[in-house]
Amino acid sequence: MVEVLEYNLPDVQLMHQETNNFLLWIPDKTYIVLGASNKPDNSIVESLVVRDNISVLKRRTGGQTVMLTPKNLIISAIITDENVVKPKDVFNKFNDLIIKAIEQDHFVTFSTKGISDIAIGEMKIMGSSMYRNREKLFYHAVLNFDESPETFQKYLTHPSKEPDYRIGRSHAEFVTSLKETGYVPDIHHLKEKITESLNSFLPNYKPIYQVV
Amino acid sequence: MRYIFNFPDIGEGLEEGTILEWYVKKGQQVKTGDNLVQMETDKVVADIPSPRDGTIVALFGEVGEIAIVGEPLVEIEIEGVHGEEAQEEAKKEFAPQPDESEDLDDEEAAGVVGTMETAGKSAVLAASDEGSDKEDVKEDKPMRKALATPVARAMAKDMDIDINEVKGTGPSGRVTKADVENFKPAKKGTSKKQDIVKGDDVTYEPLTQIRKAISKNMINSKHSAAHMTVFEEVEISELINVRARYKDAFSKKDAKLTYLPFIVKAAVHALKHYRQVNSQMDLENDRMIFNNRYNIGIAVDTAEGLVVPVIKDADQLSIMEIAKQISELADKANARKLSMDDMKGGTFTITNYGSIGGLFATPVINYPQAGILGVGRIIKKPVVKNDEVVPGSVLSLSLSVDHRIVDGGEASRFINKVMEYLADPIALLME
Repeated sequence: MVEVLEYNLPDVQLMHQETNNFLLWIPDKTYIVLGASNKPDNSIVESLVVRDNISVLKRRTGGQTVMLTPKNLIISAIITDENVVKPKDVFNKFNDLIIKAIEQDHFVTFSTKGISDIAIGEMKIMGSSMYRNREKLFYHAVLNFDESPETFQKYLTHPSKEPDYRIGRSHAEFVTSLKETGYVPDIHHLKEKITESLNSFLPNYKPIYQVV
Repeated sequence: MRYIFNFPDIGEGLEEGTILEWYVKKGQQVKTGDNLVQMETDKVVADIPSPRDGTIVALFGEVGEIAIVGEPLVEIEIEGVHGEEAQEEAKKEFAPQPDESEDLDDEEAAGVVGTMETAGKSAVLAASDEGSDKEDVKEDKPMRKALATPVARAMAKDMDIDINEVKGTGPSGRVTKADVENFKPAKKGTSKKQDIVKGDDVTYEPLTQIRKAISKNMINSKHSAAHMTVFEEVEISELINVRARYKDAFSKKDAKLTYLPFIVKAAVHALKHYRQVNSQMDLENDRMIFNNRYNIGIAVDTAEGLVVPVIKDADQLSIMEIAKQISELADKANARKLSMDDMKGGTFTITNYGSIGGLFATPVINYPQAGILGVGRIIKKPVVKNDEVVPGSVLSLSLSVDHRIVDGGEASRFINKVMEYLADPIALLME
């Protein structure tokens, strides 16, 4: 039996921020994070998760279960503006900014697929989700820098919902990593580039800055 | 005044969401902006605030159920608004305002981001002269006051039944005591747990998941691909002889030899000659994707609806192996035991409606594939062989292709190749 813990990863602090803010962080170990309505019995391979002592948390945002590993870069943000735009616009804006940052050092073409995925061709490289109430909007995304898709395949079951472009493909067939596609710089360089790119968001919103 | 608050599009453009948590209950007072419910769509969890002050009268759906965008979510009694005032309120709210943009919609929705659709015009109805009795309010229907006997009316009130929903069988449609006793209320809202509802003229049944998937895929194909269909007939006496010769031998090895394995094999050989038909277009990245694998989907008609399991790497399989796989997949389909793995990865599809009947069709492409081959019934008809009219066994074929990818000439050459193999099945072994 898997114990599901309350979400307590570094970006949870953003929920308490009163102004726009963002945080880029690299998980210290491997976690599995269930979506708001996901349950362990149909989202993860419980026997392996228990055997390998992987922490399972539940987040407030939508979307399907994800794995966070030290080879992922997590991009989290809180937007508190009253006039914040639609979720899809926020997804698209973040995707544009992140793609812009990656493409500075990469030759491949990225696109937004499904509702909010970033993909290279038909292969997913980043997924994101959101929670919002009338005061704020919390966004976070998992960018697969160098984790083997086989890892996701090993611990996660096929999600109950999938974007059209996935067409039933397993995690191993559906996900790729930046490194796998030939991205050369290290994860810290990428983090810097995305930070710069997100800071360019400033003119449109109240100040956004990195908190750690 | 009763106000029906419909589930708004919370900004993803999706059509449905799951109820995660109700923050309110029936009878509770709410103020504009108070959270009513937490909803989850594919990527977003959102707290939905109340657009009005009032008292919660009804919640449509339970936790875990699915609500449809635009359908009722919450019913709110707005105090102090009656009669003409209520009608004015309803008109005022939905009258187009000059220069009103989406931003204003957001404001109306109590500051929730995104396009918060408020109730439809017909969803706000003035209370009758009798005040705000529930029986005087109908959602999405013109209000009417049912004719009813006093006993029936009192009984309905006791049983918390909206008497206006009860069909009367008394004089002039008057609702009687017996009508109330026999009344079975239809569930409000549009959750997936809806039951079958039998009306006088129609019966409502909830969509099954498979029917929803078929609907989505068919519409997606028709919207995304440029369908074009070519028709042909091929004389297959040789194939019939070959099948007859090997049928028993296959049977002894637990394989049922139909014509379909030959057709699969013929299609695969033809796909190798005309790779456009085994490809897909990736417009977003300005490129074509040519499949190096020959994974053939076989449309199977089941009691639940159409499913398309896939024979993987059919180019590497013998006729017997294909025959066995077809039988296995068809059995699994009919037993509803197909896995996602059985269904995925198809690169071209064959639909064999001829086994049921019919000659020609315009099959819908299994998008994003580029082609689908429809196989009709084999009929005896006169054919010309060596300048003589002789009886022949003719198989009709219908090939639909995505005309963005496959030109007319390519489609014709492809189907000609399929016909060559079917007319001369030994040729299948020669390549």
